[in-house]
Amino acid sequence: MAVITISRGAFSLGKIVAEKVAERLHYDVISREILLDASTRFNVPEIKLEKAIHDAPGILERYRHSKQSYVAYIRSALVERIINDNVVYNGLAGHLLIKGLPHVLKVRITANIESRVAIEMERNQIPAQEARILIQEDDKQRLKWTHALYDHDPRDASLYDLCIFIDKLSVDNAVDFICRAAESEAFRATDKNKQKIKDLATACRVKATLVDEFPNIAVTCEYGNVLVYISKDQATGKLIKKLNTIRDNMNDIYHLETHTGVPVPTDAV
Amino acid sequence: MESLTPDMILVMFMIGLAIFLFIVEWVRVDVVAILMMVTLPLLHLVTPKEAFVGLSSNAVVSIIAVIIIGAGLDRTGMINNLVAPVLRIAGKSSSRIIIAISVTVAVISSFMQNIGAAALFLPAIQRISKIQKIPLSRLLMPIGFSAILGGTITLVGCSPLILLNDLLAPFNLKPFGLFDVTPIGLALVASGIGSFVLLGRFILPQGDDKAAGETDSSLSPEKSEPDTDATELFELKTPDDFMDYRDPVFVEDLRRHYLLNVVAITEPPDYNVISPLPDVEVRSGIDLVVCGHKNDVRRMALNEGMHLKDSLDTYKDSLGAQTVGSVEVVVAPRSPFAGKSLEDINFQDRFRVTPLSVYRHEETYRAKIDDIVLQVGDVVNLHGTWNRLKALHKEGGLLFSLPSDMEEMRPEKALWAGLWLIIALVMIMGFKIQLSVALMTGALGMILSRVLTIDEAYQSVDWRTIFLLAGLIPLGIATEKTGAAAWIAHTILSVIGDVSPIVLLTVIGILSTLFTLVISNVGATVLLVPLVVNMAIAAHTDPRMAALVVGLATSNSFMLPTHQVNALYMGPGHYRTVDFIKAGALVSIIFLIVMIAMIGLVYGV
Repeated sequence: MAVITISRGAFSLGKIVAEKVAERLHYDVISREILLDASTRFNVPEIKLEKAIHDAPGILERYRHSKQSYVAYIRSALVERIINDNVVYNGLAGHLLIKGLPHVLKVRITANIESRVAIEMERNQIPAQEARILIQEDDKQRLKWTHALYDHDPRDASLYDLCIFIDKLSVDNAVDFICRAAESEAFRATDKNKQKIKDLATACRVKATLVDEFPNIAVTCEYGNVLVYISKDQATGKLIKKLNTIRDNMNDIYHLETHTGVPVPTDAV
Repeated sequence: MESLTPDMILVMFMIGLAIFLFIVEWVRVDVVAILMMVTLPLLHLVTPKEAFVGLSSNAVVSIIAVIIIGAGLDRTGMINNLVAPVLRIAGKSSSRIIIAISVTVAVISSFMQNIGAAALFLPAIQRISKIQKIPLSRLLMPIGFSAILGGTITLVGCSPLILLNDLLAPFNLKPFGLFDVTPIGLALVASGIGSFVLLGRFILPQGDDKAAGETDSSLSPEKSEPDTDATELFELKTPDDFMDYRDPVFVEDLRRHYLLNVVAITEPPDYNVISPLPDVEVRSGIDLVVCGHKNDVRRMALNEGMHLKDSLDTYKDSLGAQTVGSVEVVVAPRSPFAGKSLEDINFQDRFRVTPLSVYRHEETYRAKIDDIVLQVGDVVNLHGTWNRLKALHKEGGLLFSLPSDMEEMRPEKALWAGLWLIIALVMIMGFKIQLSVALMTGALGMILSRVLTIDEAYQSVDWRTIFLLAGLIPLGIATEKTGAAAWIAHTILSVIGDVSPIVLLTVIGILSTLFTLVISNVGATVLLVPLVVNMAIAAHTDPRMAALVVGLATSNSFMLPTHQVNALYMGPGHYRTVDFIKAGALVSIIFLIVMIAMIGLVYGV
């Protein structure tokens, strides 16, 4: 079966769609749990992780690289959760955090701005103008975040397999489309796809272990063969020690190699 | 002292710009030189004629001729023929081998480009390392340094010295003769070799005698893993149900999954294919031979249900040492393969040999090697039939350590090549004919006597060096013409006050050494010669000696692997930058001391 990520703007009914899809397909829904997982595994306050995945990096953060570390932790926690398939991820940036996996159905849900404003007004008991400003501010933050970390526009339809605009189409229509797509052959979890997700989990674990001290490294993994892409100035004794520790402690790594000054492949984490 | 004029400021800005671009390397050094060649006349700092005078200068014509003569000597296989008698004299002692090969390389380097001599000798040194079981890391650095030092033996040995007389011409100073620098050059070579013989054990990485030439100081933490040589062959048989209920498995899949290179496979009905392409399917009940670590082979056999044979069986004859083998090849300077990945080159499809690994700067790459963009000095381990390796060798661009009888040479032309070299030298020494004319006669002679064809001669010329030289010459002219050189020289002298000639020459030597480490030796020479000549004149020191110090000290480039020769030998020698700093610092200090002492001794400064 498949892994489904549902990306959406605030109050775009994505959460309801995700829950209904999961109910119909008997999948698990995950969202904020991954922040808790990451917080526990990497000993980082949950609030910092939440800010990291929502707010665009400030000027200082661009130099401190703390956001990269937090995002690497969240990604690692997310991939560990989806490793057994049959999951609907309803949190932020799923389509970017688990890119490169063929059997992940990436869905974007958007709703009419007026209906979004109405939901926000009702939920928070605020006037229309204030609700509109809050929604626009939230959309802006997500746009900046995706730009800063992935150089993408979240509104770009080519990032998704399915984009659904809930206006004339209802939530139930959206659920129908998503379920039919998830059951198609293209999103079947074959042995190859399962191996890919296992490899991605390994790469994410290695990256999460290194990212704090070496923020600009990139990692790939294929069949347990891990490649760490580094720049010339990062080739230090400290990195060798760290890589030795990783290799000794992670059983699913067969081979670990560093590539210096080699162009980083697009599927690297 | 003349006051600072706008033209002087403009020239100094252009010098600063050139140095800046040399250091940051946003564009290649020769492009910087062309930029100078074009910008200086646009700024009216030199006339259009002066801007391009470098292209017809003696220095540029001489260097073209030297390159062609070097290529001619290479074609005859004289270099390889020299190795055997040299080794006989040297015996088995590693010190004697280092001395013998270093002296030979230095002598050859004195008549051809240093990088050319170094590249020519690399395969021979690799063979010596394997035969005599001496780690390559103990041999290459002394020999590489000797190639650089050998460039100081004659006035045509290296670009800065070739350039020297042209740079002295505007000052009406007496030009240097071909062998005027020889005593100093020989002393420098002797001191360099001496340092390695006496102190080699302290300054050179010692490597492992058992695995000569295969020392591994890889950054990749896999030192405990290899239980076998990565070039060992294993034959396996796939089970009869290998293809049942599964996606097709291709040769490429086995490489990506288990880091094993399939070097032979049976294709239906029963063809034994050597070096199969990555898209060949692995079928049921067939034999295949893989190359790699035994651990990985065992893992693959277990996971895929293959039977690992005790030794080569089906392929015992077709993969015999007479037919196939593995070689280490080095990406040569100016190689068409440099800057491209194996995938870009379509390497396996074109040459039908299997790349096993790539070694670069202390790292052995085994995974995803097709994506690695090759650089000069990279060592690629290849496996294939000797015939296909030979065909690849003919393509050029890769320095092979093949059995010597496989190299495509024209030994019957060796006498002609030697004769034309002697004729050129006699014309210079006996008849005092200008360097460029005499050397070009030698080059033409080699073409007429078919040592090499005119096309081969054209192809051998390194246009980067030519434009680097020709493009920087107008910068030297502008520095002198505008009075900027004199102004800088007087300013420096007014700061440091009166100094003795020896101190001044030492300071110039140190300055040139530092410049050559960060910008090219040619750039350092062109910028410094007008400056130091003015300084020497003002300080009442012999200006020719000041220029000579620059010409020699710009070869004092040992501390960093920035010199082309060091960059070329770094990969095969498995050296780290720290190895160059350690050995290079000592050789650089000895170089400066010996150079100043010899100039004092020979020229009585």
